[in-house]
Amino acid sequence: MFRHLFKLIWNKKKENFLMITEMLVSFLVIFAVLSMTVFYYHNYRQPMGFDYEDVWVVNYSAPQSAQRGDSAMLFRQTIRQMLLSMPQIKKLSFAGSNVPFAMSTSNSNIDYNGKSVLANIYDSEISYASVLNMHLKEGRWFTQADEVSKYPPVVINEMTKEALFGKDQAVGKLIGKDNPLKVVGVVQNLKDKGDYQPVEYGMYKLMDTGSYHHASTILLKVQPGTDAAFEGKIFKQLSNAIGSSIEIEHLDKKLASKNKIFLVPAIIATIVAAFLIINVALGLFGVLWYNINKRRSEIGLRRAVGATGNSVSKQLVGEALMLSTFALIIGSFFAVQFPLLNVFDLPEGVYIIAMVLSILFIYFLVIICALYPGRQAAAIYPATALHED
Amino acid sequence: MIQVQQPTMQTTTAINDKREAMIHLQNVEKVYRTDTIETLALSNINLHIAKGEFLSIMGPSGCGKSTLLNIIGLLDAATKGQVLIDNQDTTHLSDKAMAQFRNKKIGFIFQSYHLINDLAVQDNVELPLLYRSSSAKERRQRSAEALQKVGLSNRMKHFPKQLSGGQKQRVAIARAIVGQPEIILADEPTGNLDSAMGDEIMNILLHLNSTEGTTIIMVTHDEYMAKKTHRLVRLFDGSQVQ
Ligand SMILES: Nc1ncnc2c1ncn2[C@@H]1O[C@H](COP(=O)(O)OP(=O)(O)OP(=O)(O)O)[C@@H](O)[C@H]1O
Ligand SMILES: [Mg+2]
Repeated sequence: MFRHLFKLIWNKKKENFLMITEMLVSFLVIFAVLSMTVFYYHNYRQPMGFDYEDVWVVNYSAPQSAQRGDSAMLFRQTIRQMLLSMPQIKKLSFAGSNVPFAMSTSNSNIDYNGKSVLANIYDSEISYASVLNMHLKEGRWFTQADEVSKYPPVVINEMTKEALFGKDQAVGKLIGKDNPLKVVGVVQNLKDKGDYQPVEYGMYKLMDTGSYHHASTILLKVQPGTDAAFEGKIFKQLSNAIGSSIEIEHLDKKLASKNKIFLVPAIIATIVAAFLIINVALGLFGVLWYNINKRRSEIGLRRAVGATGNSVSKQLVGEALMLSTFALIIGSFFAVQFPLLNVFDLPEGVYIIAMVLSILFIYFLVIICALYPGRQAAAIYPATALHED
Repeated sequence: MIQVQQPTMQTTTAINDKREAMIHLQNVEKVYRTDTIETLALSNINLHIAKGEFLSIMGPSGCGKSTLLNIIGLLDAATKGQVLIDNQDTTHLSDKAMAQFRNKKIGFIFQSYHLINDLAVQDNVELPLLYRSSSAKERRQRSAEALQKVGLSNRMKHFPKQLSGGQKQRVAIARAIVGQPEIILADEPTGNLDSAMGDEIMNILLHLNSTEGTTIIMVTHDEYMAKKTHRLVRLFDGSQVQ
């Protein structure tokens, strides 16, 4: 029967071409949608790597007088003491502008032993890790002693560690060419671009007198339930102390708006894809339906020579499945180019899962669309079908 | 497999033919019901056809000839009455059993050939064998033999569109005989053909009947063709008149 169906399809290749094309296009659309879905779902499942609840972000621009050297140090000291004297503020850390869920990024290449990655560079302080409750995997976070060490100390994230050191020990190694930096610790990856965004390479630097002017942000860890009245109070005090306007945001709200920026276009794309799939399904259904009506006499004849209603319906579903197999073989050939040529920077596994899911989905769609016409074909009355011409 | 029941009809039939009985129709009635009208297509048909008999059926258009053939061929069910084929009551067979029955016992030939245009001649002929257990090799072999019997060995790879009407009907005959059925039901097999081609088809059927002993029931409008058969049954308005 398999060979028989193959012949039947092969001899009708012209008529079937359109159908195969339609299935091929829908496979590719679904493959694209599913690649994205699998990718973002995978990201979503990754741990955050830090706590963002009750963390506030203060953005400020330091007065000219407090941008360099000792005056910058003094400026920060004053602000720090003022804030920490309030019981609602548990911890704080000055930081570069690329704190979690911020729009700003700052990156640079880091090299080790011929390998190089483009990593986010975070300006941080000794208290930075504890404000965000980061998870140390190896070595340690910065301490007071690091402020006078020979090589500037850095902490890298796990992803950077794997890329540069693989299974080897990273702590204690020097990275970078001209100005070597010493790795003192490895932290768990921080998914700090939003719930659905991938983890990126990251390296944390300890700000020193030379880089104080990078600091433009303060991270505050406040007591749970700290309210807007308090926010208003520190807003006033900080504005007065800094002498220019400041901005206070909450990390959880920043995350929500980051997610929204991602989700809105993603939902629109999904709706568009869903309409496309409905279209394809209707088209498929229509073609199969049309086919059956065109082939009534063939169906009647098959019944006359010994086919049961069931085997007629199975044959029609089988033909549709065989057609979709052709389409899927061609489609997979295209789809497999994405991981092979690394067209987009997605992990290989994402494409493979998406491919398998798309294949299953197309088969499912074809079976659903063929089942009813197939059942109708089984119900065709052979005596009548053989008499109309 | 088809189980052959014990011949329960022997008490009810009055047939005293020396030859073995093949088909018995008893008080067969067929009513077609549509929303608006009821058509009595057949009424009170009693017909006994012996094994190896070549029977022709004649009658005006619409008198129920095709309906009768469909009922004998299990393509349609009688509204009333009994149909016994090869000693088996076919009235209450399941869809599957009926399909097997048609596949093994009956070959159909139609006025309009009913070849599948997208299949080559040999693949068309193989069709009945696809619905029983047989190997690809066996199918090739038997279809080639059947095509040889109808004189079309040189057209096996052709497609139906490339054949004349007479050739198409010969392919249909090859398809009807490939499974070696005991009964052939032919509904106006020469209806679309000129007389020369019609004769050719008729000769193949006669030959089949005389050499292989196949029971043949043929509907025809042609007295000349009917005369060549063993027996003629005339229908008029759904009833047997002769
Ligand atoms: N499926 C059906 N539904 C309703 N009526 C039908 C159906 N099939 C046949 N009939 C009616 O039954 C009667 C017998 O039809 P049938 O096809 O058996 O005639 P026929 O003798 O073969 O005619 P012809 O010589 O034209 O082929 C006709 O009146 C026809 O209209
Ligand atoms: Mg007729």
